[in-house]
Amino acid sequence: MTAALPTAPLHTVGPNLAVEPDAGTRKLSTAKAMQEAIAQQMRTDDSVFVMGEDVGPYGGIFSSTTGLIEEFGPTRVIDTPISETAFIGTGIGAAIEGMRPVVELMFSDFFGVCMDQIYNHMAKIHYESGGNVQVPMVLMTATGGGYSDGAQHSQTLWGTFAHLPGMKVVVPSNPYDAKGLMTAAIRSNDPVVFMFHKGVMGLGWMKKNRRSIGAVPEEPYEVPIGKAKVVREGTDVTIVTLSLSVHHSLDVAEKLAEEGISVEVLDLRSLVPLDRDAIVASVSKTGRLIVVDEDYQSFGLSGEVIASVVERAPGLLTHVSRVCLPDVPIPYASQLEYAVLPTPARIEAAVREAMGGGVAS
Amino acid sequence: MTLYPALTDDMRRGMLQTMVLIRTYEEAILREYHADKSPGFDIGAGLIPGEMHLSAGQEPVAAGLGLHLTKDDALTATHRPHHVAIAKGVRLREMTAEIFGRETGLGRGRGGHMHLFDPETHFSCSGIIAEGLPPALGQAFAFQRRGTDRVAVAVAGEGAANQGAFHESLNLAALWKLPVVFVIEDNDWGISVPRAQSTSVQSNAVRGAAYGMPGIRVEDNSVEGVYEAAGEAIARARAGDGPSLIEVHTLRLWGHFEGDAQGYRTDLDGVPGRDPLPTYRNTLTAQGVLTDSDFAAMEASASELVEDAIDFAKASPTPSPANALDYVFAEGARS
Amino acid sequence: MSEVIFPKMSAADGATGVIVTWFVDSGDPVTPTTLIAEVAVDKVDAEVYPETGGVITLLVPEEAEVVQGSVIATIT
Repeated sequence: MTAALPTAPLHTVGPNLAVEPDAGTRKLSTAKAMQEAIAQQMRTDDSVFVMGEDVGPYGGIFSSTTGLIEEFGPTRVIDTPISETAFIGTGIGAAIEGMRPVVELMFSDFFGVCMDQIYNHMAKIHYESGGNVQVPMVLMTATGGGYSDGAQHSQTLWGTFAHLPGMKVVVPSNPYDAKGLMTAAIRSNDPVVFMFHKGVMGLGWMKKNRRSIGAVPEEPYEVPIGKAKVVREGTDVTIVTLSLSVHHSLDVAEKLAEEGISVEVLDLRSLVPLDRDAIVASVSKTGRLIVVDEDYQSFGLSGEVIASVVERAPGLLTHVSRVCLPDVPIPYASQLEYAVLPTPARIEAAVREAMGGGVAS
Repeated sequence: MTLYPALTDDMRRGMLQTMVLIRTYEEAILREYHADKSPGFDIGAGLIPGEMHLSAGQEPVAAGLGLHLTKDDALTATHRPHHVAIAKGVRLREMTAEIFGRETGLGRGRGGHMHLFDPETHFSCSGIIAEGLPPALGQAFAFQRRGTDRVAVAVAGEGAANQGAFHESLNLAALWKLPVVFVIEDNDWGISVPRAQSTSVQSNAVRGAAYGMPGIRVEDNSVEGVYEAAGEAIARARAGDGPSLIEVHTLRLWGHFEGDAQGYRTDLDGVPGRDPLPTYRNTLTAQGVLTDSDFAAMEASASELVEDAIDFAKASPTPSPANALDYVFAEGARS
Repeated sequence: MSEVIFPKMSAADGATGVIVTWFVDSGDPVTPTTLIAEVAVDKVDAEVYPETGGVITLLVPEEAEVVQGSVIATIT
């Protein structure tokens, strides 16, 4: 009476894709790169679908899904009620049965209403089942502040997700990585939390960074989950950072190069797995480590990055410091918000201090 | 029109057989659980460590549901999952090995008795109240999208009906006409808090109306009542007519978990008379459907299956501590 | 030669928007499938593709305010 279907869908994906191919000349915004990655996987794999609040005709509040419903229709691009527990759980159940949901949590700040599904179910079922049940799901979510959205709509919180075992966490900073990581996330047999900073999407209605637009190959390709990237080579100071702070760090590095200060910038791109080898490799060149992180300072990513070096090669470090969000709810007034965000000015001061010049030099 | 088969005598005996198997199983787990925990009570000691929530008294829910389900249907259970797992056809040996924390268990010893996952029968559990409902929606969603008539059953206790996840799930299931059946086991107690102190309505079944779905309450822990309510609901789901809500007034025969002295419990005097197992046995006997030797054969058969599963678990290797980090991810190393 | 027009995105006559992003530079070759610009009126975005192929010349800088319907680039 029921259709014959595989009962234990351990997942397979299509043929291997190119890994980090040449970028070419065609330019996209980060938002469009994500849309393209999702659309391409939806075209080749009918188990992929998109679900979330305002992902349909609106196209995602931060344009992560623009154009998808026009191509794939409302049965594969599904607007949900404001019921994050129910629809994230629906993604989990569908993934267990062999589908590949891409589920959007509109703001990472909203995890409070649905975290049980995320960390107790999505992330743990594979382990609890002894590897017998896979949950190939992407949970994508907007993060970050800088536009006066207040304490409940401005947080990054990637350290919170990365702290809890069982979910991979990726945080692209640019269009190329966003497409490659989204493609890898959809094709992964593990749950992947894809955290995009609103400030790197290239949106017209938010302060736009020039690095939010960049060359992206038209073909599908993957950026491997778990691999950091040196986005600027240097010899004096290592900045380990991610997401929008990569853009700020590169701006600072360019400026200080004119003064003969050579800054290496490592874009983590993934938090889980964390590319600790790349961190140690960079610090072994420079000896000076600055972690720039828009997440809260204490008990989080910045301490983890430093611990990676201290545990493996404590003798390497001649200087270490952090430019993070201090442990305070993110303020509304712009003057207050920018007093706590990891701004280029704070990053520059940290580099000067690392070089022995002191904050005021 | 009846959308499901009328009960035959064979089916009645089959439901009783399932109830006997469940009771035999829970009694054996009870025995093994307590075997090495004395003197006193050390929750982490013994061949079966940890919390243990047994389902004695709730057999009618499982037996009445089980007849309607195939291996391809899904079922999500709770922290008290053994009865529905057995009725769903989860492999007894592997389930028992998991409860014993062995490498041969359903989860290779990583899950435990509240976290049983069997992809062969699409069975899973959640130890968090009401949080097993949303994944059942997703399983139903996948079944629906693929054009099958498979259904997902989400089982939860009456305490779960006061959780947000319950209400979100009912709304979404009804909105999308998902092939889901929500089954609430009302055993009167949320650990130590009586239902009257937790729930604003006399019957959770009325909450179905808030979401535009049928709701029915089965009284008296009646296995045949469960069979009929579930038959209606599952047929409706298979036909594409959407979800239903069933509440069964059942019985927690023993404590919330083992080691629960139940000092709070005001209804204990009446419990023995409410035990569904002798009740249903007597009913079938009085109807001439069951003989004493039939029942003895049921007990013998159940005992054989259960002791075989216990022996299998005890003889199975424990997981190697060196492999404690395996299975965090399907792909790639841990960071 | 053809002209690239800022699309009409608002019902209001004379409504203005901005060029959010030029994905190409003056002198670049383009075809009708080349995404050349994203424009916005309020928080609503639209993509702009040329009607003909050729070499593009941008007439309006990014972030400049533009009346919808006006010419923002030419293609020769």
